[in-house]
Amino acid sequence: MKKVEIVAAPKDPHFVGDGFRVHNFIPSGYRMDMKRMDPFIMLDYNSKHYFSPTKTPRGVGVHPHRGFETVTVAYQGKVAHHDSSGGGGVIGEGDVQWMTAASGVLHKEYHEEKFSQEGGFFQMVQLWVNLPAQYKMSKPKYQGISNDKINKYQLPDGSGFIEVIAGEYKEVNGSAETFSPVHMMNAKLEFGGKAEFDFPAHFNTGLLVIEGSIKVNGQETVPTDHFVLFENEGTDFTVEALEKSMVLILSGEPLNEPIAAHGPFVMNTYDEIRQAIDDFNMGKFGYLEE
Amino acid sequence: MDLIEAQISRKSIKKGDVLLGEGEICQNIFFVESGLLRLFSIDASGKEHIIQFAPENWLISERSSLYFGLPSSYYIDALEDSELVIFDLNFIQTVSSISPEFRVHNEYILQNHIRQLQNRINLLIGANAEERYLDFIKLYPDLTLRIPQWMIASYLGITPESLSRVRKQLAHKNFR
Repeated sequence: MKKVEIVAAPKDPHFVGDGFRVHNFIPSGYRMDMKRMDPFIMLDYNSKHYFSPTKTPRGVGVHPHRGFETVTVAYQGKVAHHDSSGGGGVIGEGDVQWMTAASGVLHKEYHEEKFSQEGGFFQMVQLWVNLPAQYKMSKPKYQGISNDKINKYQLPDGSGFIEVIAGEYKEVNGSAETFSPVHMMNAKLEFGGKAEFDFPAHFNTGLLVIEGSIKVNGQETVPTDHFVLFENEGTDFTVEALEKSMVLILSGEPLNEPIAAHGPFVMNTYDEIRQAIDDFNMGKFGYLEE
Repeated sequence: MDLIEAQISRKSIKKGDVLLGEGEICQNIFFVESGLLRLFSIDASGKEHIIQFAPENWLISERSSLYFGLPSSYYIDALEDSELVIFDLNFIQTVSSISPEFRVHNEYILQNHIRQLQNRINLLIGANAEERYLDFIKLYPDLTLRIPQWMIASYLGITPESLSRVRKQLAHKNFR
């Protein structure tokens, strides 16, 4: 059995731009740094937050990324995305946006216009998934995955289902393509619903309780907005819903490559970071209107 | 040694904290261990003009009040949470009198600062927007990732629109 190593409470939130009010779980604090969580190098969680109506959409302006993928999982609210490689779209409740920044994109993320005008509850996860060295300078890619395109595994007796975003759950394949073994799924469980998970011991594995509260391995009670990190021993664990719940499950094979990170760039060496800064300054990421 | 230590202190400040206001007398020199400070003025129309940025390992102060005791025409504030080492004129003078090496080093820093200012005046008088931007990214490579465009434009003495144009032209020239 995979035992719980840490149950992490959400830290004080901070704003990313003016549109994302997030608790950071990775890499700051709780010993969940980039090495420990490899290949998950950043996790910002916008817990359910009400944004008042506004004429000017809130969000984050044009900024670059290189060397990894940004994955946004929307639970409530709508986000519009544009990037310099031509990718773009709106994602809403249940949708996932998987952007492979790789050699470099500029992008911006704003609350969708109508959502901004009406205001409402907003809840999302943004994850950075590191790329293996050999793909860091590959071509950027954008996968907008609407909820109806996400394969689902039905749990017995209508006790819930698993949405497999990436990787695999009981032979149901994830909808997103990944560059290294990554499992990512939402478990949507009714009261009493129970699911078991099984990932290789050395995969770095965790979960985030998006809604409700759960019991892990029949022992550990975990409330809403808390993150669970598992030990790198044993392979299987269970999640049981103590009320109607939703849980984001993450498990990935560590890349075990050197990490050099600076702001929006995550590479293998600091020379590559300097190159990234230089390329960005010189316009080699392209151009995107504010 | 105690005397020297008494004249040097550490401070953690938050983004947005103001270390010096207009009309105040600047008593200190700030060494930035981590974070980012800026020196700027505000003109009669309320517009900000940025004189200097001080990221990690930079020194920043307001010289007309520090050395000449005049009320400052400038502000110093924090653009990021910052860790500072703070010392004053006394410290410079005390250590200079004890250590010739320090005096030489301090003079080097001062000469280098004047050299940078000369270059900055030259660019502000004679260079176009692109030349100013190219000089900026050489001096402050990663500030483009840390501060909004309008601050860079303010430092360069150009409008945000012309900075945007410069960056667009560079992208046009250099993007794959």
